Amino acid sequence: MIYVKGLKKTFGDMQVLSGVDMHIRPGEKVVIVGPSGSGKSTFLRCLNLLEQPTDGSIVFDGQEITAPGVDVNLIRRRMGMVFQHFNLFANLTVKKNIMLAPVQLKLKTKEEAEAEAMRLLKLVNLEEKADSYPAQLSGGQKQRIAIVRSLAMNPEVMLFDEPTSALDPEMVGEVLELMKRLADDGMTMVVVTHEMGFAREVGTRVVFMDEGVIKEENEPKEFFDHPKDPRLQDFLSKVL
Amino acid sequence: MEGFIEDLKLGIYQTFILDNNYQYFVRGIGVTLLVTAFALLIGLALGVLVGIIRSAHDQQPEKKKGIVLRVLNGICKVYLTVIRGTPTLVQLLIMWFVIWASARSTDENMIRCAILSFGINSGAYVAEIIRSGIMSIDRGQMEAGRSLGLNYTATMRHVIIPQAFKNVLPALGNELITLLKETSVVTVIGLKDLTKGAMLIQSKTYQAFVPYIAIAVIYLALVLVLSWILGKVERRLRQSDLR
Repeated sequence: MIYVKGLKKTFGDMQVLSGVDMHIRPGEKVVIVGPSGSGKSTFLRCLNLLEQPTDGSIVFDGQEITAPGVDVNLIRRRMGMVFQHFNLFANLTVKKNIMLAPVQLKLKTKEEAEAEAMRLLKLVNLEEKADSYPAQLSGGQKQRIAIVRSLAMNPEVMLFDEPTSALDPEMVGEVLELMKRLADDGMTMVVVTHEMGFAREVGTRVVFMDEGVIKEENEPKEFFDHPKDPRLQDFLSKVL
Repeated sequence: MEGFIEDLKLGIYQTFILDNNYQYFVRGIGVTLLVTAFALLIGLALGVLVGIIRSAHDQQPEKKKGIVLRVLNGICKVYLTVIRGTPTLVQLLIMWFVIWASARSTDENMIRCAILSFGINSGAYVAEIIRSGIMSIDRGQMEAGRSLGLNYTATMRHVIIPQAFKNVLPALGNELITLLKETSVVTVIGLKDLTKGAMLIQSKTYQAFVPYIAIAVIYLALVLVLSWILGKVERRLRQSDLR
């Protein structure tokens, strides 16, 4: 579904990604872990071109999206993204947050989008917040709404950029629970996270990134029980 | 003391009642408000345009800046530098005596000239206010919009600008108040605004105290009304911040 080849990214003199290769198959749940500054968020943001890769290629569903002249907006419609800081539109109510993109992109009429928004809100038990503004919600509520806002576009892949890192501890559970449900429904997911429990339980593959490259990747059990790379062993000993 | 009161009575009589002099104030308020209102509209239109171009330029990564954006940004920068670097009064004099030199000195022509001059002037200040507003919005808002497949313009229009506008409303209100008071310099081209009205009465009646205090009070009252309206609008827009 997504082929990444030799992906490189530099910010000024800083090499953040120094050649990453990855193949993400439909229905996979790839969990990316690693120390901060390892380039995992940058990698994720390159996948939907929020960061422009310096070098390398990304092929999504047979189309090379890093090629010049590609309509990025059409690609992004098919890839949902969830951010660490939720990034709900502060000037819009919850319902309108969800409706904005489908309506503006003429994928749905206002009525259809509203019905869909209410259906999605019901899914996360937040229908009574439909007319609230983001500032009136808790972090966990915001993140769940950010997730369903992405879902309203019917994406084929969901990218999660540390979705629980900015949450109070007691709200992490509700967000992870929603992500698990999404995973069970067969959504293809790429998740950057520090939640090792989630990686072990939900991930079909866990990837360890460090210093801008993939140091090790494996299915979760093997990854956590028998890490081979010394940096990964060190990392796991600190976080587990 | 008694002398002062007698003088004051005479002053009030001559300023307002004699020859229907109060008409100078009524018409003057009309002209002042007219110039302010239309200059504000031009200033807002120009300011939003320039502000967006400037911030689009500054927020775009170096490589992605097209030649068009660079040229537009250059033009905007020259405009901001010239307008903010020269006195409003001088701009008005140039507009009337140089650019409109061949126009006849009718009230309409002078009003048009004043509106254009103040509009262009105000636009420069509004532009910087708008730009600061846009820059103040967390870039996550833009990223969220783009990640959903909305383009830059749509995200600007539905997400960034509404928030930026709300954030800069106090500063815009300040600009409007400044503009209202600054229009008093139109007297130099002979336009009969509120200030000119007081000056005309002074030259007819040799009264200075009452006419000038009167227009000071009128300006103050106008500003108070504006502030009140702005406060209402601000509270309305703050709705989304309520917890």
